[in-house]
Amino acid sequence: MHISKNIEIIDLALYLEKESTLVLGDLHIGYEEFLNKEGVLIPRFQLEDLVKKINNILDRVNPKKIIINGDLKHEFGTISQQEWNDTMKILDLFNNKEIILIKGNHDSILEPIAKKKNIKIKDYFSVNDIYICHGNKIPDDQDFKKSKILIMGHEHPSITFKERKDEKYKCFLKGKWKNKLLIVMPSMNLVTQGSDITKEKLLSPFLQQNIENFEVFAVENKIYDFGKLKDLI
Amino acid sequence: MIEFQEKPYEDEEIFKVLNPIVSTWFKSKFKEFCMPQKYAVLNIHNRQNTLVSAVTGSGKTLTAFLSILNELITLSENNMLENKVYVIYVSPLKALNNDLFFNLETPLHEMERLAGKKFGIKVSVRTGDTTTYEKQKMLKNAPHILVTTPESLALMLSSIKFKELIKNVKYCIIDEIHSLAENKRGVHLSLSLERLQYYCEEEITRIGLSATAEPIEEIAKFLVGDRDCKIVKIDLNKKMDIKVLSPVPDLINTTFEKSHNALYTLLDQLVQQHKTTLIFTNTRSATERVVHHLKEKFPQNYTENIGAHHGSLSKEHRLNIEERLREGKLKVIVCSTSLELGIDIGYIDLVILLGSPKSVARGGQRIGRSGHALHDTIKGRFIVLDRDDLVECAVLLKNLVERKIDKIHIPRNCLDVLAQQIDGIAVTERIHIDSLLRLIKKSYCYSELSKEDFMSIIDYLSGKYISLEDRYVYAKIWYDQETGMIGKKGKLARVIHMTNIGTIPEESFVTVKINDQSIGHIDEAFLEKLKRNDIFVLGGSTYKFLYAKGMVAYVSASPGQKPTIPSWFSEMLPLSFDLANDINRFRKLMREKFELKKSKEEVIKFINDYLYVDENAANAIYEYFKEQFLFSKIPDEKELVVEFFNDEEKKYVVFHSLYGRRVNDVLSRAIAFAVFRSEHKDVDIGISDNGFYICSDKKIQVLKSFSLIKSDELRKVMKLAIENSEILKRRFRHCATRSLMILRRYKGREKRVGRQQVSSMILINAVRRISDDFSILKEARREVLEDLMDIDNASLILKKIENGKIKIKQVATNMPSPFAFNLVLQGYLDVLKMEDRIEFIKRMHSYVIAKINK
Repeated sequence: MHISKNIEIIDLALYLEKESTLVLGDLHIGYEEFLNKEGVLIPRFQLEDLVKKINNILDRVNPKKIIINGDLKHEFGTISQQEWNDTMKILDLFNNKEIILIKGNHDSILEPIAKKKNIKIKDYFSVNDIYICHGNKIPDDQDFKKSKILIMGHEHPSITFKERKDEKYKCFLKGKWKNKLLIVMPSMNLVTQGSDITKEKLLSPFLQQNIENFEVFAVENKIYDFGKLKDLI
Repeated sequence: MIEFQEKPYEDEEIFKVLNPIVSTWFKSKFKEFCMPQKYAVLNIHNRQNTLVSAVTGSGKTLTAFLSILNELITLSENNMLENKVYVIYVSPLKALNNDLFFNLETPLHEMERLAGKKFGIKVSVRTGDTTTYEKQKMLKNAPHILVTTPESLALMLSSIKFKELIKNVKYCIIDEIHSLAENKRGVHLSLSLERLQYYCEEEITRIGLSATAEPIEEIAKFLVGDRDCKIVKIDLNKKMDIKVLSPVPDLINTTFEKSHNALYTLLDQLVQQHKTTLIFTNTRSATERVVHHLKEKFPQNYTENIGAHHGSLSKEHRLNIEERLREGKLKVIVCSTSLELGIDIGYIDLVILLGSPKSVARGGQRIGRSGHALHDTIKGRFIVLDRDDLVECAVLLKNLVERKIDKIHIPRNCLDVLAQQIDGIAVTERIHIDSLLRLIKKSYCYSELSKEDFMSIIDYLSGKYISLEDRYVYAKIWYDQETGMIGKKGKLARVIHMTNIGTIPEESFVTVKINDQSIGHIDEAFLEKLKRNDIFVLGGSTYKFLYAKGMVAYVSASPGQKPTIPSWFSEMLPLSFDLANDINRFRKLMREKFELKKSKEEVIKFINDYLYVDENAANAIYEYFKEQFLFSKIPDEKELVVEFFNDEEKKYVVFHSLYGRRVNDVLSRAIAFAVFRSEHKDVDIGISDNGFYICSDKKIQVLKSFSLIKSDELRKVMKLAIENSEILKRRFRHCATRSLMILRRYKGREKRVGRQQVSSMILINAVRRISDDFSILKEARREVLEDLMDIDNASLILKKIENGKIKIKQVATNMPSPFAFNLVLQGYLDVLKMEDRIEFIKRMHSYVIAKINK
């Protein structure tokens, strides 16, 4: 499904057709390990699921460029051998493609990974009139000012319906921020669904107002266009 | 073999085996041996396993200790008392330990004074409150009698040093065994006893002390497994003066104001006529309320002489109240359920029960708190506030007088407790899985454990379900498939075990919020009962429940609306199945009287004769049944009346299934599930002890769905029906915590319960992917269906319907019949979610799109 002209939703990722670029974000590798440290001995499926998901996406499109839009890894602190290996395995899926890592708020220790794989780390990525950043702060560079379409992650949006508050669905959001078109991507953390936009306080400075006019695209077995959020709550 | 000790021994026979000092002491204190002593002292002396079942205050504790003290004193006199533990005394209550400490020390001191010398018999208490210093002291200088709790016993068994200390134990006393046998704490203890036996060189003599409880043979098996045991069952013919009282003559046509005033006037009257009164209220909030109103209405009568006692109060407060009670400084003490067990509470001459205690055993236990001295009369008053309560208490009283005690349910094959105990064994030693299984199966709670379930726990603990490279995180034990040996794995294994032991789920509070604003707390169990749009009271205001997220309940203010669910719901005790059946039998007898057109006098005479109630109560019962008979039909043990009516919004189908809420929970969920499967409609459910209803805004064919549920398929249906329920998720967290899949304390940090609940949702999904039958998930389902609910008796009811022993009678009414009033007013249930995730979003999508395009 197209969320905007030349921008297609492919599962939890976005494909920029003209630029042959795949955008995905908020993978939060190591989330299960984080839970383990919290004393919850949850068995690991994250990596296996993520590999499957990414391979499915790559079966459908063949991008030249991959943009990982922040929070590749979950924890702020050190990186364990396990997380290192998992991250390498994910990056290996994109062999022969150009990879760009955009810094998120969880990514203070990306450097060694990037160095090992010879990957560029950036604060944002800009092409034509599209500007891609994590979304935890509002940039003030020239590219940002000139851009017409913003793509961000960080928020992990998901939606619930009042008929059944316990079932959450990951979703894309599309709306306006000032005079720009803003697209918010769901997280690729497959262990959790994310935060419920119908009731939880949103984090990003981009999403502090007018959220009820955003359009909701829920992702399950396929993409469901639900129209505006205000019609759902 | 389990046998009853049929005859008492002669006092002379008993004195013959007693040390002269013990005999002299005994004679100086008592005229003769009391009944439990006549039956049991010699058996215990002869090292026979013994279960003593008798009311509180009948001398049970001394019965257990007499032979034991006798033996220790004799050893001491012969200079043969060694530095080791001879006796372990396990009690479910920490407070009781302190109490017993004094009760055991006193006789010992008195005997020493008589003998003019010290025996050097040491008694120590080891509980969670014992300091490290005290524990170190015990290691050097072993107590001969060790008083402890089930949890502390398990800790000792996993401590290499303490294990040495207790490997010569000769006697083990389990106090209040009836209260342990019916929950996982007891299951855990039963395995600890087998572990203790496994380490001990000689066969331990087990002594169980129980209140009057049934089935007593099963409780004996719980004590000894497949070993021999003598049961000493003493039905003390203590005089009982018990009555059911109604504060007002008419329970239905009296204003709240009036009955409220009448209730407190009656309470005050009763209290003033007696020296010390103990009031049971069933719930914590009611306890506070009663104390508050008594003080308010009769300020001159209640000042420092009234006390409240319940589980939410601080330990200091409770100990203080108990002490003042023993010192005779209290005129009246009000408690929820907390004073049912054990501790000596001094002189009480009247027990009042506000509301039904829901089981005969519990009623007896409570009333037995009065007249503690052996020959005193037991005096109790049930005060009832509605007509269902009246009938229930009246039948309960009858059973109490006729000593028909209802049966407790002993949980079996609990896989979570098993996992914890195997882990406890593995951290201290290597053992072959065959010997391990033998050890486990000696416990009655696991005597029928299948090899398959056992292996599923070994697999879980050894991390077999996880890929080899990850196993170091998950595996708790080391297991060598070739040699069949298991043992400790990893440096942290023991620390993790010792800091996470136990079976009681952590008390946790759910924060109630309106958007982001916190307005108070409710307990987790209450949240379990809430369904969407329920109105409940919190801190004097009413709120509407919207949804929960982890440990937060989101609500909206709804001032002036009538609560749909009483806030004490979670504490509500379920009606026992046996008592329920007796009420159904009474209903049948009443129905026959009306059908035979008996006169009012005749019916009232029957009620009086059958139930031992006074004129007022008999009259109220008569009116209640008469109304029901004239309005629709009286349901009974042979006929299940199903009532159909509509209100402005919904169609109701009420099942007058008086089987207790544990059974009704099963039946109602099974029907809701069947309706969903055959008609794809979600329904609302309400349940109580007396029945349940199914309702919907659409037309539903409830009876047709009901007829599809067969007794032999009930388990299969219920497995599906509870799969997405809140209750399964929460119970899964408890099971995951017991089986050490979620650690409460880990790497020196305490984990918040809220955090655990959120992650347990993720955990349950992960576990389902490993296997739908993953051992710990399987246990959560078992706990919900067998312990929380009662699937076996539900299945029994279905079977009776199938073979025509219970007939279904349909009745259409234009409003709820009298018997359905309370149910329709107070019913509740877990939100039911049957629809699959993808189906749900599809339906929502077409619904929303249709709305937008309109």
